[in-house]
Amino acid sequence: MRRRETTIALLFLAPAFAALAVFLFYPIVQTAIYSLFDLQYTTRWRQAAFVGLDNYRQVLSSRAFWGAMGFTLLFTAAAVALEFVLGLAMALATFWVAPPLRGVLRAIIVVPWAIPPIIQASMWRWLFNTDVGLMAALAVGLGLAERPPLFLADPRLAVLSVILAYVWRGSAITAIFLMGGLAMVPQHLLDAAKVDGARAWMRLRRITLPLILPTILVVLLFRTLDALRVFDIVYGLTGGGPGTTTETLSSFAYKFYFTFVQFGRGSAYALVIYGMVLALSLAYVRRILPHLRFR
Amino acid sequence: MRRFLHLMASLVVTAAVAVFSLLPLYWIVLTSLKRPGTEFRLPLRPWPAEVSLESYRTVLGPGFEVQHAIRNSLIVSSAVTVGALLLAGLAAYAIARLRFRYRVQSLALIQLAGMTPPIVVIAPTFVLIRSLGLLSTLPGLILPNIAYSIPLSTWLIASYFANLPFDLEDAAQTDGWPPWQVFFRVMLPLAAPGFFSAGVLVFLGSWGEFMLALTVSMGLPEAQTAPVAIMGFTQAFQLQWAWVSAGIVLSLLPVIALVLLFQRAVVQGLTTGAVRY
Repeated sequence: MRRRETTIALLFLAPAFAALAVFLFYPIVQTAIYSLFDLQYTTRWRQAAFVGLDNYRQVLSSRAFWGAMGFTLLFTAAAVALEFVLGLAMALATFWVAPPLRGVLRAIIVVPWAIPPIIQASMWRWLFNTDVGLMAALAVGLGLAERPPLFLADPRLAVLSVILAYVWRGSAITAIFLMGGLAMVPQHLLDAAKVDGARAWMRLRRITLPLILPTILVVLLFRTLDALRVFDIVYGLTGGGPGTTTETLSSFAYKFYFTFVQFGRGSAYALVIYGMVLALSLAYVRRILPHLRFR
Repeated sequence: MRRFLHLMASLVVTAAVAVFSLLPLYWIVLTSLKRPGTEFRLPLRPWPAEVSLESYRTVLGPGFEVQHAIRNSLIVSSAVTVGALLLAGLAAYAIARLRFRYRVQSLALIQLAGMTPPIVVIAPTFVLIRSLGLLSTLPGLILPNIAYSIPLSTWLIASYFANLPFDLEDAAQTDGWPPWQVFFRVMLPLAAPGFFSAGVLVFLGSWGEFMLALTVSMGLPEAQTAPVAIMGFTQAFQLQWAWVSAGIVLSLLPVIALVLLFQRAVVQGLTTGAVRY
């Protein structure tokens, strides 16, 4: 009986694993192999020269790589922190506002998440327009700048603009995740603390946040993984510019692949990203593994 | 009185979040309604001075045909949703309901696959799609996207399966139904809400997918999805923002409608993974 159940299970799993094997597992291995060859896109596989770790040596000793690495890490740290603060504020707001407004608020929060990142990049390009952009008008109107800022042409502002555009959508998804965690906090605990005279800040720090800590950790991890591989918003908003200021590891790797058609060099970049992501993913999967119990 | 103050404060908070979340979108809608050629005119007004639908007529007309890209997106996302739900449903059934060694490990492996950054697989996938002769075709987009959607949907459907009672399934098995019939006639209808929630998320995810769509379409309109077409507009028409904005609004209508209509399923699906641990 047991053996029969195993056979059935394998048959049910086979199609999904076949799809994953062809479009995820095989390409991962292939990228690792590419990274050991001096491979141009037009070069036939057999003629490509095996160069060992040469691609990695080249990449790791280039200033462009460390520039992209530096920006990717800065971007990730800034974006994840900002998203978390904004997302938590919005999530708490959905529980704090008067009941008739809760549904409305939730619907509003979900909207930015529904917009694909690349379309968002187009939107923000227009919003960041120096002459007639909304953000320039706001910056001048609020007294943050005397003249309309060059959001996408000034290196420092471009970094800020990319982060802001990414955080707009990221804070929405962070808020949605945290809403799920907050919904599990027992109301009677908060009520009891209120009766005992605990102020709102105290209740948040001593009851709500500790109780949703597991959710917070998962959210931070997911968002870090997403930020480390950021591509769309950079590609669409700044194209990595001005110069290479906002080039991320992913956007640079893509250029190596499809602009310079150097698959070997690009693969080395991709594997560096994968190394960072895989370390975090393994930590996550390890953490949830003991909880994956059914029947 | 306190109640009234709370309501007033709530309105202020809701308005603040609305400004943050909706203002960028509102600005695009506003631009799309300007007469093309007036989008660079000052002063800026927070409402339309005159409403013109000319940009919409332009982007739906010859030379642009944004509806073609939207149709491609609808085809791709629908096909991906059906394919991914079928494969993920079968896998989730095995993982959540059948007893065999390594079931936990197979779920963990699927989840690990789901965290792969697209840049790690894009080059070999491009070569593979090319050798299959599927460049610039919709199947060239659909097949990889099905694989990309399997991890999340397997997770959601397995979570749903895990909470279902066993009696109906046991009864069907005792009656000698073959496993595939148990799956399609008993489990699938019971888990319909789980499938639905996963389906909405898969649809939205593949609608917004960009790196593969950009690479596989090769710049040819036949296989351009809405995101690729919008990016093309943005790069080609740097001074025609009324047109670009109209294109953006049209390509966002289906997804925003979907999210607002099925908000509950979306939020539930998104939080299933994050709140369990």
